[in-house]
Amino acid sequence: MGTTTPPRTLAEALRARGDESLAGLLRARPDLLNPVPNDITQLATRAGTRASVVRALEHLDRFALQTAEALAVAPDPAPYDTLLSLLTGDGLDDGEQRDDVGAAITAALPGAVATLREQALVWGEDDRLRLVRTARELLAPSPQHPSPTGLGPTVAEATAGMSPGRLQEILAATGLPATHDPVSAVAALSALFTDRTRMADLLDTAPVEALSVLDRLVWGPPYGEVTPNPTPPVKWLRDRGLLLPVSTRTVVLPREAALHLRAGRAHRVPEPVPPAVAAAAERDPQAVDRAAAGQALMALSTVEELLKLWDGGGPTILRAGGLSVRELKRAATALDVTEPIAAFWIELAYGAGLLASDGETDERYAPTPASDEWLDLSAENRWTHLATAWLAATRTPGLVGGQDAKGRALSALGPELDRSAAPEVRRRVLALFAELPPGTAPEAEALLRRLRWERPLRGSAPTTEGTDLRSRLALWTLNEAELLGITGRGALAAQARALLEEGEEAAAARLAPLLPEPLDHVLLQADLTAVAPGPLERPLADMLSVLADVESKGGATVYRFTPGSVRRALDAGQAAADLHAFLAAHSRTPVPQPLSYLIDDVARRHGHLRIGAASAYVRCDDEAVLNEILADRRSAGLRLRRLAPTVLAAQSDPGSLLEALRDMGCAPAAESAEGDVLITRAGARRTPPRTPPAPVPEGPPTPDDTLLGAAVRAIRAGDTAATVARKEPVEGTTGSAPSGTLPRTTPAETLATVQAAAMTGSTVWIGYVNADGAASQRVIAPVRVEGGFVTAYDHTADEVRTYPLHRITGVAELAEEGEG
Amino acid sequence: MTGPLIVQSDKTLLLEVDHDLAEACRRAIAPFAELERAPEHIHTYRVTPLGLWNARAAGHDAEQVVDALVEYSRYPVPHALLVDIAETMARYGRLTLSKHPVHGLVLTTTDRPVLEEILRSKKVQPLVGARIDPDTVAVHPSERGQVKQTLLKLGWPAEDLAGYVDGEAHPIELAEDGWALRPYQKQAVEGFWHGGSGVVVLPCGAGKTLVGAGAMAEAKATTLILVTNTVSARQWKHELVKRTSLTEDEIGEYSGTKKEIRPVTIATYQVLTTRRKGVYPHLELFDSRDWGLVVYDEVHLLPAPVFKFTADLQARRRLGLTATLVREDGRESDVFSLIGPKRFDAPWKEIEAQGYIAPADCVEVRVNLTDSERLAYATAETEEKYRFCATTATKRKVTEALVRKHRGEQTLVIGQYIDQLDELGEHLDAPVIKGETSNAQREKLFDAFRNGEISVLVVSKVANFSIDLPEATVAIQVSGTFGSRQEEAQRLGRVLRPKADGHEARFYSVVARDTIDQDFAAHRQRFLAEQGYAYRIVDADELLAES
Repeated sequence: MGTTTPPRTLAEALRARGDESLAGLLRARPDLLNPVPNDITQLATRAGTRASVVRALEHLDRFALQTAEALAVAPDPAPYDTLLSLLTGDGLDDGEQRDDVGAAITAALPGAVATLREQALVWGEDDRLRLVRTARELLAPSPQHPSPTGLGPTVAEATAGMSPGRLQEILAATGLPATHDPVSAVAALSALFTDRTRMADLLDTAPVEALSVLDRLVWGPPYGEVTPNPTPPVKWLRDRGLLLPVSTRTVVLPREAALHLRAGRAHRVPEPVPPAVAAAAERDPQAVDRAAAGQALMALSTVEELLKLWDGGGPTILRAGGLSVRELKRAATALDVTEPIAAFWIELAYGAGLLASDGETDERYAPTPASDEWLDLSAENRWTHLATAWLAATRTPGLVGGQDAKGRALSALGPELDRSAAPEVRRRVLALFAELPPGTAPEAEALLRRLRWERPLRGSAPTTEGTDLRSRLALWTLNEAELLGITGRGALAAQARALLEEGEEAAAARLAPLLPEPLDHVLLQADLTAVAPGPLERPLADMLSVLADVESKGGATVYRFTPGSVRRALDAGQAAADLHAFLAAHSRTPVPQPLSYLIDDVARRHGHLRIGAASAYVRCDDEAVLNEILADRRSAGLRLRRLAPTVLAAQSDPGSLLEALRDMGCAPAAESAEGDVLITRAGARRTPPRTPPAPVPEGPPTPDDTLLGAAVRAIRAGDTAATVARKEPVEGTTGSAPSGTLPRTTPAETLATVQAAAMTGSTVWIGYVNADGAASQRVIAPVRVEGGFVTAYDHTADEVRTYPLHRITGVAELAEEGEG
Repeated sequence: MTGPLIVQSDKTLLLEVDHDLAEACRRAIAPFAELERAPEHIHTYRVTPLGLWNARAAGHDAEQVVDALVEYSRYPVPHALLVDIAETMARYGRLTLSKHPVHGLVLTTTDRPVLEEILRSKKVQPLVGARIDPDTVAVHPSERGQVKQTLLKLGWPAEDLAGYVDGEAHPIELAEDGWALRPYQKQAVEGFWHGGSGVVVLPCGAGKTLVGAGAMAEAKATTLILVTNTVSARQWKHELVKRTSLTEDEIGEYSGTKKEIRPVTIATYQVLTTRRKGVYPHLELFDSRDWGLVVYDEVHLLPAPVFKFTADLQARRRLGLTATLVREDGRESDVFSLIGPKRFDAPWKEIEAQGYIAPADCVEVRVNLTDSERLAYATAETEEKYRFCATTATKRKVTEALVRKHRGEQTLVIGQYIDQLDELGEHLDAPVIKGETSNAQREKLFDAFRNGEISVLVVSKVANFSIDLPEATVAIQVSGTFGSRQEEAQRLGRVLRPKADGHEARFYSVVARDTIDQDFAAHRQRFLAEQGYAYRIVDADELLAES
């Protein structure tokens, strides 16, 4: 199309753009792609929808937004210069020179306009810049949504609906020539307000109090309350149209007048340049890397500890999902951290796929198979795995312990913890870190200010610092990055920089030399402790953690040997000799004598007592007999085991053991639990106390009066249902049902008839199919019809019941009243 | 492998003693970290708020502490720990106790919210007087100790700038003729004097009395010495006459039998804590003279009432002496807040290495009870179990065998139960010293033992403390006060005095296997094991078979 003729619509403007530029638009506003628009017109329409524009505005940085806001208060279309002067002011400032800001704005504005143009929020050539109508509506000041500019409506907007007589009075008061045409009157007034010289002259005549009233309104909000009898200064302003009525009690400072007072500036503080991220401290980059690596190691050991803690089945899952407060507390105690930090580690392990629900009926958290693979990785790869998972995670452990909008507690691992903005904020914070020279720790406050500049919260005045979600996410990011070893002493570590810029492998390669080599030895001491002066090789660490209790963690690990811990190792299948060999092999120093003695002493007693289960036993003072039984092939099925020369244990019950031994030709006697011989037939078996049975008379028992009465009522009711003559349906569309079959009416008729019956209190006859599909006929007196249910007194059943309307096949009125 | 120090997340510091930089590191961390365990390879220090505040009081700042950790640490120090240290140390000095020309003792703050916070505490309210200005509140001089103790517990330690009274001057000099204070004793005296008040921890036999004498020579003022019992009082007196310019007449004894008040007065805890009709009649002793120095011997045994008296003595210099600051009642922090922080502490093994205390071979002898004894033990009442297994005949026989094995060496048999000791005395044909033995008789027997006239002495726990038996080379412990760690340390101390021939001392603990006796023994040994005195465990049968 003609690049020479200026576009007349957004669609035309878009059509004129190159493919590259359209791709840029779609990249910036991916929501336009969903679904892919059929043509440019559709794209333009969609780009103009409210939801999409809101989304686009929310993604603007502060200066682009300020530019858009300025455009929204500028005439439509507005030339570039007008826009520029709205941002810089028209230079007729009251001596407050802001050259540097002005220069910055002049420098930054083309970029901001380009951004807005690229995002299809602004279109048109520089001499006719147009803000997309929806955006204009969203950003233009209105009483409901005051603009961040603090400007009010234009004279034209504010005087719409004002009586011509009133306009005349204003014209007269301001000394403008009278005109009967309201349009030209408004134009004349606007022209006066926008003319700097005449406006200045007008204000020179204003009383001082009037100027102070204007001072209060000039930077917004532009609305003020007035009494029916305003004070003289307000009256002076109102008479001259410097305050225009909005309602009987409210007046507004018109935009043109405000702009004059502001020297033409739309914003009190234009922010063309992103606030710099100030450095809180400069640290030695190597120390930063080392500190971060130390913390990374700590992170790994904490996650490993958590996995180990839940190794044999972790805590049960709440019915609403997640971890109970008590379980979180327990995990925090076990990990020796505070609960919020424990929540972070748990969520991290979960997000990295190391923990999950086991999916059993009694649901619990447990390590995943992937966690075993993770444990086999080298330390640097384990870290990059965690860090990568953290970077992309939308789950926000920082919320744990808080409440959702409905006041429900947010639990760790529970639902409702996902915040889609989290990865983006996280990336952005780290990117800001990365812009600083290595070793520089930024100030958290400055970082937050920068983030707020990049993504101002549209429509809301700057809230209390750090309470909005993005700020909270950013603060959590700072804490979590430090915990995870992304940052060290507040500055970004080289390995994290590599992870952000080059990927996992590069990060692992950077991290590896910073991590201490796993050790293959410990120092054993005579106070029954072992000190591992660094991380241990995994098999060694695993074995030691069984053989001894961990007493202190950190760079080193202190283990303490106790009788209990040694017993645990023996229970795990180790023999005393194995333990001696293990300690000798891994100790740099001779094994202290008390430790060797401890192992031997525990081993001496270990397994001294043996416990097992048996169903029956055979004992005999004559060992030869027991030998004989064991040798007999027929005893194989009894699963006999010799516990002592004179005792056999059997896995079969005493009864069958007796039988079997008798069959083998022995003459066994049964023993009671106290060891007495049980003599069969000696004592007859007795039941517990019993009463004799009552005689059973012939026929059913004589019914009592109540029963009889009830029976009669039931019979009568059933009879009524079966025999009563029915009225034919008024409009027998479905054909009259013969007596005995279910009545059939359309649902609408059914409803109408039942409702009528409920109102009149009459009784109707219905056909009804219950949930099992069995059909029946019932006589009911409807009481209430609502929500698809009929509540009625059922004469057939003699009680009040509720029937779903859709199960009623049809309804018929009774020919005559069933009840007398 | 670089630094000798590993900083743990639970704020313990592990120091590898064989490292080249270990000594430098130890000096760097000693001002703020407490030595907790000193076994052979790795010593454990702990960073506590109290330690950090004491470091602040001694003029160290957070920067120095952090530097020391970062410089010597092998691995990166967790940032959170550094922040915590800085924050903890910043709490010190927000409150100061000082003398006001008009209002006497006042508590002032540099941080008004802190003052508001502590004044809101119910525990502080009764101790302070009128608010003088928004930053100052009056404190009654007698509550000086209480206020300090309470503020410490609230986590806002007060810096005490109110100073000390000099007390009544009295010339005291060390008479260093033919002997001299050992280097560590000198360091201890200097550490104490420089810090004003505090506790000196030295192993038994390392000459704590001389540290006391050294402190008196620095103070040159009237001194009140509090000791555990009369025998100990006599020994102090004897030692002071021998080692200082003081004469017999200048030293008074204030005990159950004598009530002398002289420029240097030695009193027993027992007489101080005697109560008659709900009052402590001997309390006036504290006010009877203008004492310039108060010495607390065996401060780990300080009875609770003395804590209270001590709280009132904050304007006087206080020196605590002990071998172990382990208190079974867990009131170590009261000792620190009322007497003062630990001013000197040396690992036992270090002093042994310098040759000032004898090396000792600690042996736990495990005794197998006979079947009938085991059965009787199994059926004994719970509260009788320890007494039963500690006093079995089998143990007695093993003890006798041990005494026989060391025939000719000066041997002490130490126990808890009198009838057990009587029986042992009878079988060993040795005198028994117990509570009812008169002081005269005790001193006579001790002298005989010193002279070698008798070589075996059976003592009950009355001899646990402050008796000086220079030539004992073998101690056999048959029973004790359940699992008391400090008793174990005291008893080992009996044999740690250097021997003329450099002979190694022996310390036997006879323990019945698989009984509560064994559990208590393990608990008792823990402190010494952590001081590097590892016990060998030997089966009685083997040991006796050897001989």
